[in-house]
Amino acid sequence: MNLRDLLSPFFVWQRAFEKPYTSIRPTIDRPGAPAYRGFHINVSEECVGCGSCHSICQNHAIDMVPAAEFEGRTGDSGLRPRFDYGRCCWCGLCVDICTAASLRMSNEYAWISEDPDEFHFTAGVDDKPWQNNEHGYRRAEGYHLYPPKRIEMDMLSPDESVQSFEEVARGYSEAQAKLEADRCVECGICVATCPAHMDVPDYIHSIRDGDYEKGLQLMYRTNPFPATCGRICTRRCESVCPVGILGEPVAIRWLKRFIVDQVDAKDYPRILNDQIIESGHRVAIIGAGPGGLSAAYYLRKKGHAVTVFEAGETAGGMLRYGVPSYRLPDADLDKDIAYIVSLGVDIRYNTRIGKDIDFEQLLQDYAAVFLSTGLSVPSNMRIQGEDHARVLSGLQVLADVASGRDPGIGSRVAVIGGGNVAMDAARVSRRLGAEVTILYRRRIADMPADEEEIHESQEEGCNIVPQAIPVEIIAADKPQQVSIKWGEAEMVQDPTGGRPRPVLQEDRMHTDTYDCIISAIGQGSDLDFLSKENQQQLAIEWGKFTPGEYQQSALQKVFVGGDVANRTADAISAIEDGHHAARGIERLLNPDGFTATQTDNTGEPA
Amino acid sequence: MTLSTGHSAALDFAQPEPPDLSSGKYVKLWQGPQHPGITGNMSLELVLDGDTIVSCKTHVGYLHRGFEKLMERRSFIQNFTVVCRIAVPEPTFNEYLYSHAVEEISGIEVPERAIWLRTMNLELMRLASFLMWIGGQSGAFGQYTVPNWTLAYRDYVLDLFEEMTGARIYHMYIVPGGVRAGLPDGFEERAREIMKGAEKLLDQIERVMFNNVVFKARSKGLGIITPDMVDPYGIVGPNARACGLARDIRKDEPYLAYDRLDFETISGNEADAYGRAYLRLQETRQSINLIRQCLDHAPTDGPFQADMPNVLHWKVPAGETYVKAECTRGEYGYYMVTDGSEFVRRVHVRGPSYTHAIAVMERLAVGTNIADIAGLMVSLHTYPPEIER
Amino acid sequence: MNTVDEILDYAIDQEQQAADFYEDLAGRVEKGGMKEILMEFSAEEQRHKQRLLAVKSGEHELTPEQEVLDLKISDYLIDVDATDDISYQDALIVAMKRERAAYKLYSDMAEKLPESHLRKVILGLAKEEARHKLFFESEYDERVLRDN
Repeated sequence: MNLRDLLSPFFVWQRAFEKPYTSIRPTIDRPGAPAYRGFHINVSEECVGCGSCHSICQNHAIDMVPAAEFEGRTGDSGLRPRFDYGRCCWCGLCVDICTAASLRMSNEYAWISEDPDEFHFTAGVDDKPWQNNEHGYRRAEGYHLYPPKRIEMDMLSPDESVQSFEEVARGYSEAQAKLEADRCVECGICVATCPAHMDVPDYIHSIRDGDYEKGLQLMYRTNPFPATCGRICTRRCESVCPVGILGEPVAIRWLKRFIVDQVDAKDYPRILNDQIIESGHRVAIIGAGPGGLSAAYYLRKKGHAVTVFEAGETAGGMLRYGVPSYRLPDADLDKDIAYIVSLGVDIRYNTRIGKDIDFEQLLQDYAAVFLSTGLSVPSNMRIQGEDHARVLSGLQVLADVASGRDPGIGSRVAVIGGGNVAMDAARVSRRLGAEVTILYRRRIADMPADEEEIHESQEEGCNIVPQAIPVEIIAADKPQQVSIKWGEAEMVQDPTGGRPRPVLQEDRMHTDTYDCIISAIGQGSDLDFLSKENQQQLAIEWGKFTPGEYQQSALQKVFVGGDVANRTADAISAIEDGHHAARGIERLLNPDGFTATQTDNTGEPA
Repeated sequence: MTLSTGHSAALDFAQPEPPDLSSGKYVKLWQGPQHPGITGNMSLELVLDGDTIVSCKTHVGYLHRGFEKLMERRSFIQNFTVVCRIAVPEPTFNEYLYSHAVEEISGIEVPERAIWLRTMNLELMRLASFLMWIGGQSGAFGQYTVPNWTLAYRDYVLDLFEEMTGARIYHMYIVPGGVRAGLPDGFEERAREIMKGAEKLLDQIERVMFNNVVFKARSKGLGIITPDMVDPYGIVGPNARACGLARDIRKDEPYLAYDRLDFETISGNEADAYGRAYLRLQETRQSINLIRQCLDHAPTDGPFQADMPNVLHWKVPAGETYVKAECTRGEYGYYMVTDGSEFVRRVHVRGPSYTHAIAVMERLAVGTNIADIAGLMVSLHTYPPEIER
Repeated sequence: MNTVDEILDYAIDQEQQAADFYEDLAGRVEKGGMKEILMEFSAEEQRHKQRLLAVKSGEHELTPEQEVLDLKISDYLIDVDATDDISYQDALIVAMKRERAAYKLYSDMAEKLPESHLRKVILGLAKEEARHKLFFESEYDERVLRDN
């Protein structure tokens, strides 16, 4: 033992004057670090109720519960996360996975209550003092628990694409599809948003499992046009996909297409295995477009004898005549149609109701009629000189090209309009070698056309002139040409509400000369095949039907659907209208065996 | 590490037959499962002859939560929130090894910035853990001043964790793919300041604890581990280094950024409780040095997470791996088997306490004075929760 | 038409005539749904009339100073006939053109008059018609030019 060892312990006194780390009184507040994982905050207005927090929670501490104020919002499940603090371990994975970044944590960590039920609360809905706390854990920038970017679809370059009518989107490889399918968080908001309520998460799951036959079966439950919708669907599902809030939405449309592309048409009967037991009822369908054929498919599955009356010479309706083949190749449309027809659907081509056969006759001969004739009459601009021979309709140009006829557009073309028909007419014109200018009365952002179509038409060299209002068509010097007088427009906010409206600036007028002007400002219905009496009975409003429950019209036997009966006028809505009308017709013909709940679960008409 | 396969004298040790308790000559004494001298919930069944221990039997199971089994029913991302609980004072080694095993099987490359942040995180963990241990060792010999210092100072290190990771104890910072965030603003300055204070504290501890006649008297010669015991007993870490073996995974098989850090393996030549304590004191200083090096070198921008698949349905390819790291107590290892599904097939956690607290303890306890049993246990630096995953 | 009451009576009569015009057309049209639309137009004109009656009785004041947005849609459209098989697009064009003509009439009238109370009333009527025109033009913009 040495003296040093005896003395040195007394140096403990050195630290007696150090500032103590601990608080003097327990009531002194010590805030958590700025990134502390404390009590949960949910910005409920930003939350869409996707439930990813619930899925990732290993303690089952999160339940998704209905929050009345958010029910019915588009792209919102109407549910909000409810936390059980008897289970939570504050790992923060729920914050990390949150697709909307609405879920956060405050740096608050002390909460005292005598009521244990209080620790079971819906963040952002139940009022908590830390809800607006600006500190606390947030998902760090650059940290992701799922890939935020989608797998790029291989596309023909604009230079290549304008050379031919070959399909622009090339399709996913299996590896690409699996990677893209992996991004789905399986929330099901897409299912609720899809007009046909397609079982998106499950068929995407089938891609991850490599079970494409199952994927096909799932798709046919609610949509007999998967090859078509996999290419040209307006995909409202993607616009609400929560993965798209912070990143890019899952490419649902391309994944649907991938599944169909993996399955050979000759295997459809074996995979789908549609057993038909004849019911003895006969149903007439007017129009062989997506609505009519969808109804035909689901009615046929119920054993009804289906006759489709089609005025044209082929089936497909607007899908065939209105959608150019670089977006939807004929072979793929035919793949969908061929399977429907193979179930024994009788299509009478070149048969026009009102001319070849009377509507009244159908009402007598058939147990029910489904009417889905679409919008086939191009709208008129109603401006001076519109009847000039060089003013063509967009629909006509597309139909000509689809049927292999030369629309005779010349080499300098002006397209008027901002919808999909206008974009298609413009892109078709580019492929026919023309120089294209698109005149649109509002801003590009206001265009009703699909954003992708607008982008691709620009890429392919179409010149979009927004805020341009046509006022007059004037004969040009040469008979093969035509001039258009148009004026610039200013967007003015209407004090009475509504979207900003374009106002013509009369001091800024232009006159340009083209080989032709393609007018594509919209289209209306042609219901003249119905007698005046029938028209009155069917309660038409603004040229459209207003169907009741199960697409039933004012006439008990008549069901209506498709563009002529809905506001959205897209393929998927028509397909759902057809399916829903099939349920309605089934209810009419077989009232005892029909249950509404059964149809909703399985997607099959009962 | 070479394992001795041949016969060794060290293996000859066997617990003596339990003495005849009915003779009235012996006293049977249970130490634990709740006892301040035990470094967690386990108990020692001791038989005493007077003050001297004649036999020691260890009992574990009070902390069994079935972590390895729990992991087999949780997704790969969920598990990282479970593993930290396996060693309460050193959660991040579990986080790192679990993540590293998953990454190795799935072939995920962790970005440079995450490698440095992980290294710093692990060294901060070693520092915090050593500080707690020093207090424990001092307290086990009835000296309660140093524990107050070190546990209070450990809280400053936990402050750093709180800032860096969002939590003080279960950090859940190292995640498969990288780490969860970069460093917050001003972290470096605060970390350097705390390192400076820690260095000063360690100097003072050396003076009042290691140059202390009572501490020396009680720890010197207590629980001597001889080099020939090391391999047969699976002794690792400071317990092995103190008897002169220069074994340190950070140096021998460098992982993370250790091959780019300037440090030497520390080994001692006194394999008693005092020698082990002194070696740990030096390793604490070494950790401070390494943390400073990490602060110097860690990139401040760039990605801190690899591109990850969607963790909600993450399937790790079939495979198996064993990964290890040098924690304060030596080799900490994770053996993982995956079968290509969304769940891990099997995880085995190899904590160093498994041997130290059972086999080594049962041997070293025999012949020890009852008053020193707590000091001996702490000097082996064991954490019961990692014995019973 | 030299007094305020006279001009108001004239305007009220014009609104009644318009209402009658649509009602008469509604009785003749054959296209499904058009009848309802035209009856709605007629009802709108009746509302205009009620408003002017309220002005006359002093319950309501005209606002000749208020600016009214002019969308100028009808200015460049061709004239269409109100035939029995009129479409909704054309019905709207007819309505817009009628309101535009009335607006023109009152504003031209006001221009010829010296500053007076009468002039103010006529200007007020012009603004009133401009608002009616905006109503139908907005409807046209919303319904017919929806996709455009």
